[in-house]
Amino acid sequence: MAIILPKLSRRRSSTGVTSESQPAIRLTLCDPNSMYLAGGELTAKWRISRVQVDELQGLEISVLWHTEGKGDEDLHVHHFQRIGDAKLREIGVENEQSIQCVLPAAPLSYHGQLIRLSWCVRVRLYLEDGRDIVSESPFYLVTQLQQTPCVANSGEEEEPLKGASDASSVAASRSAQTRSVLASLRR
Amino acid sequence: MLRLPMPWSKKRGQRRLGNPSVGIAGEVAFSGAAFLSGVFGLSLVLISQFAPQQVPEQVSSEALSTSLSSWVIGVVSLAAVMIGAMRLVFRVMHLNASDEMRSVIATKAAALERLAPGQGGEVGLPNVPRGKSITDSPGEYLCYRLPVVIGEDGIFGPALLALFWNTAWIILLAVVVSGFWIGRPRWILAGLLVPFALIGRWSFLYFLSQVRQRIGVGPTVVEISEHPLKPGGRYDLFISQGGRLKLKRLSVELVCEEETFYRQGTDVRVERHQAFVLGLARQRDLEVDPQVPWEQQLVMEIPANVMHSFAGTHNAIRWKIVVKGESRPWPSFCRNYPVVVHPPG
Repeated sequence: MAIILPKLSRRRSSTGVTSESQPAIRLTLCDPNSMYLAGGELTAKWRISRVQVDELQGLEISVLWHTEGKGDEDLHVHHFQRIGDAKLREIGVENEQSIQCVLPAAPLSYHGQLIRLSWCVRVRLYLEDGRDIVSESPFYLVTQLQQTPCVANSGEEEEPLKGASDASSVAASRSAQTRSVLASLRR
Repeated sequence: MLRLPMPWSKKRGQRRLGNPSVGIAGEVAFSGAAFLSGVFGLSLVLISQFAPQQVPEQVSSEALSTSLSSWVIGVVSLAAVMIGAMRLVFRVMHLNASDEMRSVIATKAAALERLAPGQGGEVGLPNVPRGKSITDSPGEYLCYRLPVVIGEDGIFGPALLALFWNTAWIILLAVVVSGFWIGRPRWILAGLLVPFALIGRWSFLYFLSQVRQRIGVGPTVVEISEHPLKPGGRYDLFISQGGRLKLKRLSVELVCEEETFYRQGTDVRVERHQAFVLGLARQRDLEVDPQVPWEQQLVMEIPANVMHSFAGTHNAIRWKIVVKGESRPWPSFCRNYPVVVHPPG
């Protein structure tokens, strides 16, 4: 049975309102399913439009993970690149640029009850007038064995106790649960 | 319908109660005021020491008259200068930096000190705990004997509470008795003696129950064939429960727990949730003799699609083997043996 993955939302603008006059950041990941293997290579392409290069102060591109949920946020940047205004003029922002990085082995993407661990590529554009515009492209970091992000149990009901050897049936039920959570995310 | 944010509720998601720049301005103003008042106080102390005739008339002559008052004002002023200056420099340094930039700076700084949470993990496995202490002790039957974690229901807190509360009650009793002795009875204090005695009795009984639990329940030994664990892996487990016990129920479980820290006002709160529980053994009406401990050899199979151990600054995912027992006459016990699960591959 095919596993349908949720369509990950992409944050367009820090103000939340995108008008025709505002600068736009187009950020595309090389994998259309947004699934990357731990230790694998990630390539992302970005392009800026509707803005003159003179109006830009700089640009930051980060590949990072952060936590969401009940607790305070943890954030760790795995790959970071800052491009100053002189370099932006040199490369020309209207042209498509790309970044590459090798992803780490951990931490993997996780969707739990209290904690969600999400990976994303984030581009932050600094304008001359002091504003900054953020665009994000989330992705999943998984392993060959776990080809879907890990999803936690509800925790309200215990696993039925049939001895330790029944772990494979537990794994099967968890896999079904993963699919249902992902489907609900998609809805 | 528009819902107004409540200032006393926990902030969730991206919701803000006001403009963040107002908060920053307030913090800068407070730090600046602390710095300037510290400089003023320190200047006064220095002037009074080296040129007393230059001290302004508005300043009370008694304020800096003794060396003790000079020292107190000097130390407080110096603290205000340092705190104000540090907060100002910190805030100014963070004014034009994004969250990502700050994270990069922090990681680089910590890499120098080798103290960052991201750097504290296994080589090549950032934010996965090392768990070196888990494999410190060799096992008798299997490879490693797992260390037990002393739970939050330790004996130190109840002992301190019982000691201090009952000491305070005895002092109160002495004051009341002395009042009656000299013919000036303190009726309000005498009335307080009864409820305070009840609290003292409860704290002492709670302390006794903790002592009974610690002494009465014998040692639990957990050994494992391999460590660290991996999703999809199969491991041997040896459990032994000693002591003289009549257990109504004994269970062994593998638990994955989400642990998260958050600030609520000035408090730091912890919340835990069992994300995954795998029952390994459960037995009812069990009798344990000091000569014949209850021993069990188990096989533990970890499902493939589970999250590995994770340790961030405010969030963590911890794996542990939990041995729980319900016994009479001793109170129930629960012992945790942490393990580390690495990502597969």
